[in-house]
Amino acid sequence: MSAESLDARYQRQIPLFGKEGQKKLKNARILLAGAGGLGSAIAMYLAAAGVGYIRIVDEDVVETSNLNRQILYRETDIGSCKVEAAEKTIHALNRDVDVDAVCRHINEKSVGNLVQGVDMILDGMDNFAARYILNRAGLDEKIPFIHGAVNGFYGQVTTLIPGVTPCLRCIIPTTPTWEKNAIIGVTCGAIGSIEATEAIKYITGTGELLKNRLLLWDGLRGESESIQIVNSPECTDCGFSESEPDARRFPV
Amino acid sequence: MKITVKAFAMFREVMDMQIELEFPDGATVRTLLTSLTARYEGLSEVMFAAPDTLRDFVNILRNGRNIHFIAGLDTPLDNGDIIALFPPAAGG
Repeated sequence: MSAESLDARYQRQIPLFGKEGQKKLKNARILLAGAGGLGSAIAMYLAAAGVGYIRIVDEDVVETSNLNRQILYRETDIGSCKVEAAEKTIHALNRDVDVDAVCRHINEKSVGNLVQGVDMILDGMDNFAARYILNRAGLDEKIPFIHGAVNGFYGQVTTLIPGVTPCLRCIIPTTPTWEKNAIIGVTCGAIGSIEATEAIKYITGTGELLKNRLLLWDGLRGESESIQIVNSPECTDCGFSESEPDARRFPV
Repeated sequence: MKITVKAFAMFREVMDMQIELEFPDGATVRTLLTSLTARYEGLSEVMFAAPDTLRDFVNILRNGRNIHFIAGLDTPLDNGDIIALFPPAAGG
């Protein structure tokens, strides 16, 4: 797109962070881990806002039962690889976004390559085992990890910055074993939008990040509250200590 | 001492969203939970897998720090503490 049409495209948001901010969005590189309900909301809003590069990772194919919440997909996508369908939808919205569609399982082996060259990690996962792997990778590479998760009408979100905030393990130390729970698109939209908001603020240097706070969303009651969270020096993943910030256990 | 308890997500289905309680010196998180489960019918079943064993999704923060990394149920309480009870959402 020409400079003129780019300005026109983003004219309603440039007042929020200037053309400089828009350029930062264009130059930003995001790892979006998971292309489900959260990933759909995150991908659509970051693409609409003009984030330049989105590496979207998921190993699943689109199923009928995904369509109540995963707004990246259409009925015609059923049976297709999610990340390929996602790339199509993202490009239909904004062809200037460089989409790296990776159909791969996120595990200890693959995560190293997946986080290479990105500015931040956005959480669109549906399980804590994978989230702990991303948390660890973020700590190792000193990459911010925006955590979000949903359950029914409830959700939580926080921005985790290595050396600045607690890590995921500090606040949720063990995998919560849930049965497969109910899930609805509007909650994914609420939490995914907050994650995308955090990414945009981080990239453009706008506003106050949701750091050292955990926002708990209660869609059933129309209530949200952000509570203080602090690091645990005893945390097995970051071992972060305010008094000795350089004594972290993870490799520097 | 005065302790503020904040409950989130499904805990709100069995207890108040926020409550302030008074305890004598020396109280711990266990003291607090004993008081809460006596007050709210159904809370014990939601929180405990067995007597003295919290269900694995029960996360308790004392002033923002998870009691898992302090002293678990024996974590001491101080006047003015804020205790947050939340079952983390895990879906995506």
